[in-house]
Order: sequence, then C-alpha cells, then structure tokens
Amino acid sequence: MSIDIKTVERKGGTPQERVYLVEVFKGMAVTFGHFIRNFLDNSKLYVRHYPEVEPEITARWRGRHRLTRHEDGTVKCVACFMCQTNCPAKCIMIEAGERNDGRTEKLPVRFDIDLLECIYCGFCVEACPMDAIRMDTGIYALTGTERDSFVIGLNELLQSESPFTDEEYKKGSK
Amino acid sequence: MSLLDTVITIIRVLFAAFIPVCFLAVMVWMERRGCGFIQDRSGPNRANVFGFRLMGIVQNLADGLKLAFKEDVIPAHIKYKFYYVLAPVIVFTIAIVSFASVPFADALVLGGKSYLMQGIPTDLGILWFMAIVGFAVYGIILAGWSSHNKYGMLGGLRAAAQVISYEIPLGLALISLLIVYGTVNLTGIVQYQGQLLFGFIPMWGVVLQPLGAIIFIVAAFAEANRVPFDLVEGESEIVAGFHIEYSGMKFAMFFMGEYVAMFTSSAIIVSLYFGGFQIPWLSTAFMVEHTRLVVILLMIALPLLAYLVVGWIRKNNRNRFLPRESDPDVFEATWYIRLLWAAVILLELVLLIFLIIGAGGAAARILAACLQVATFLVKVTFMCFVYVWVRWTLPRFRYDQLQRLGWQTLIPLSLLNIFITGAIVVVLS
Repeated sequence: MSIDIKTVERKGGTPQERVYLVEVFKGMAVTFGHFIRNFLDNSKLYVRHYPEVEPEITARWRGRHRLTRHEDGTVKCVACFMCQTNCPAKCIMIEAGERNDGRTEKLPVRFDIDLLECIYCGFCVEACPMDAIRMDTGIYALTGTERDSFVIGLNELLQSESPFTDEEYKKGSK
Repeated sequence: MSLLDTVITIIRVLFAAFIPVCFLAVMVWMERRGCGFIQDRSGPNRANVFGFRLMGIVQNLADGLKLAFKEDVIPAHIKYKFYYVLAPVIVFTIAIVSFASVPFADALVLGGKSYLMQGIPTDLGILWFMAIVGFAVYGIILAGWSSHNKYGMLGGLRAAAQVISYEIPLGLALISLLIVYGTVNLTGIVQYQGQLLFGFIPMWGVVLQPLGAIIFIVAAFAEANRVPFDLVEGESEIVAGFHIEYSGMKFAMFFMGEYVAMFTSSAIIVSLYFGGFQIPWLSTAFMVEHTRLVVILLMIALPLLAYLVVGWIRKNNRNRFLPRESDPDVFEATWYIRLLWAAVILLELVLLIFLIIGAGGAAARILAACLQVATFLVKVTFMCFVYVWVRWTLPRFRYDQLQRLGWQTLIPLSLLNIFITGAIVVVLS
C-alpha cells in the first residue's frame, strides 16, 4: 500500500503578495466592511443577546441532574452506587436503605450531588443500569449566594421535571 | 508675564497633559467596541450608571475602578523592587511627555504676540519627540528584566531586538521629510502643509513623501508596540511578555502608557504626514479674514450632522430582542438625543456671537484656533482607529521577520527615499 502524497500549494510567493502592503490593504478592506456594516446597523451582529434571548437547548444537552421515577411514582434508583463509583469528580453521595415497595431490595435514603464539584461529564448517566439519573432538565444556569445551596438532595432531584419527551431524549441512542 | 500669557500657558499645559489621558477612555472604548464590530459581536455594552451606558464607555469606568482598588502586589521573588516599580512609571511618563511638542492649533496671534499652541512652546519639535520616545523601550526592558521571570525576560529581550530594527528606518524616513520641510519645528512643518500643490491639492506630507509616509507609519506601529509588531507582549507565545508580573494599578500604568503612546504617535503621524491641524483648503489667514462665511457654513453643517447622528442613535440604541412597552434603551436614547440637540443649540448661539463680531479681530483668531483643534482631534481619532483597525486585521510578526523587514526592506527603502528626495529638492531649487 503506497502512501498518498498530497502537495499543498504554498501561497505568498507572487510579487504582489511579497510586497505585503497590497494584501494588508485587502485584509483591511474586509475588516472595515464588517465594522461599518455592524456600526451602521447593530442588528446585523451575529450574537445572541444572552439574558434576553436564551439559548436553545437540545434533549441531549447535559444540564442539571434529576432522578426519574417509575409510572407508579416510585423511585427508579436502586442505590447500586454505580454512578457514585464512576463519578470522576466524586460529587455524588448516596446512602442506601431498605425498600418495602416490592420492586427491589434497596432504595436511596440520601442522594446528594455537590454541583460545585460536578463537572457535568455525564458518566453517572451512562453508568446507571436503571436509567434512574438523567441530565435532561435543561437547567444550565445555576447561581447561589452560599456554597451549601449547591448541594442538592433527593427531594430536589426527584422533583425536577424534564422539558423533553422520552422519544426526544432517546433519539439516536440504542 | 501678563495675564494673557498665564492663561495661554495654562491652556497649553492642560491640553497637552489631559487630552491624551482623556483620549485613553475613548481609545480603549474604540478598541473594544471596534474589535467587537470587526468580529461581528457587540463588545462591552452592558455596564451602566442609572441606565446610561454611553455606548459602552461606562465599562471603562468600571474597569478603571477595579484596577484602582486592586491590591498592589509586588511578588516576593523580585529582588530590585525600585526598578520593578520604576518601569511602569517610565513607560507612562514618557508617553505623556512626548506629546508636549505636538501643535494642536496654528500659532495664535493675540495682543500683538504670537503663541505656539503646543504643550511646551519650543522649536525642538520632532527632535523632542524622537529624543523622548526612545526612552519608552527602557521601561519595557527594565520591566522584563526586573520581573525576574522567563516570559518577562523574553519580552524585554524582544523589545531590545525590536528597537534596533525600527528606530533607524523611523529616523531615516524623518530625514527625507526634513529635507522637504526644511525645519524641525512641528508648527512650522504643519504650516508648510497648509499650502496647495498645483493650486488644488493640499500639500500634505503624504502627498510629497508617499514612500516616507509608509515607512514612518510602519515604524511608528512598531514604536507603539502595536500589532503587527506587538511581539513584546505576544500573549499567545510568552503569556503577556514584559508585564506578566504586574497587576493592579502598575499593570494599568503599562496599559495606559500603551494607549497614550498610540495617541502620541497618531498625533505625530498626523502632524508630519496628514496636515496636522490644517483644514484642507481653509488656511488660518482665510479663516480669520472670512469668519462670517466659515461661521455660516458651520451653522448649516452642525444641525445636519446632528440630524444624521440622531437617526443613527434612534436606529441602534434600542433592544430588538425583548420587545417591551417602555424600553429603557429607548428612554436612554431620547436623553442622548435631547443632550445632542442642546449641545447643537448652545454651539449655534456661540457661533452667532462670532457671526456678530465678524472677521479680523482676536475673536476670529480664537475661532480659527478652536476649529483647528477640532480638526486635529478628528484626524488623530481617525489615526487611532487605524491602529485599532490594523490590530484586528493582521497577525503578529515573528521576531526575526520584524528584523528582516526593518533591516532588509525599510532601511534600503528609506535610504533610497532620501536620495530621491534630495535629488528632486536640488533640481527644483
């Protein structure tokens, strides 16, 4: 098997380009075109004016976490510690307890995520065998005045709803 | 010294000391908003005082406050604290002082005496600039050396290498210019540029010395440490170069020094090559003799200009993204428009006084001087914009490329320019 050699055309050798000034003026014409267009009418800027216009978030965008439930409202999480073990930032703290609703043997009595530690990598979602933890809440801006408010517990995680349907979420995954 | 002498001296010094510093705000704003627009984004436009954003100038205030209130850190590893503190002082002081010899209006004749309108009324002119501005690089080298940091050291080294490649073409380009003008006094140089070539082309330096102008402008960019010759800073290669160990107000001194140097070299370029304070086709004598005509033209032009600006404010100072009943941006715009019209009315009243007084007297001369100051500032602002414009267009030169450009291209070209200029001057005289 021979190696395919591609000769890249070298630019900058013509006399016009070697003078350099001509090309400088060409470049300056391009930038001035942009400047004057935006200066005269700033609606032509290619930017989203963030606090007023929020970004469109897709179902697969990794936002804040949530814990899912079965149809009957019981917690899907079985406290298997897979997410906690897999977490590279070590931000998940689970405490398991006995489960009496007949589904499995365990359920989490405490499920804390320290959002200041979390790096939003999504490994917990991938590790979960029960599809119990997801990052599809679409919450991307988290603010607080004290550190403690960033440690969210079981209740908050269970209460969050996803703005997306299940089909949207599962599109493209096998 | 009479009272008039004192007043004129105060005006001169205030102008020479405060205009470069005031222009700092304008230039930083121009740089940030200008580069925003060039890159199709909006730049800083959110900081406000009571909802007034002044097109983003308020951001400078916030940044300035932040830098002023930052802790003044001197890193523990620095051995020579005196030199470390001295370096930003040198850079800033040199930048301000070098502006002192630039005339911002024609020599003002009042009470039978002629006053040179420059910070220091000296005949040294361009020699003063050349002598002073060469010192700025010592500040940079000193900063790089005393920071005791490899990146700072590299930045200082690059500054030293840079200075030998641009100073010579800068001086040589100036020699050919001095052959043409026959004087080093900047007021004299600008007065020379008030003449007309073939009766209709303003005799600006750029017309007489096109090659010299290019060489000088390129060298001046290197002298002000601006892109494409900002290899002293080279943030992508040596982090921040010479000012890597500086923070707070000491960093701000370097930053202000850079912008004041940019203002000064724009002023010098304008004075040498773009007619300085001269208004094309309107000499000082003409303005003094035909004051009424000039005033009437101004009184017509001002409202027209204001009308255009008002249209621009209405169009751009509103929020298109969040339609609201009472848009604060529109409220802001109405105030700007009111202020603008108030300023126009005030100016019209002042001009009316000049219209009544008429031609020939001291008032006419003062009016001419004011118009020349305005012209000078407009030209310098445009030249500063060219600095910004080039910065956001060109990539940085490499250290050896700058030296090759300086030694192998600019020096032979400027020598050639001297010979051609000399030959033409000898033939014509």
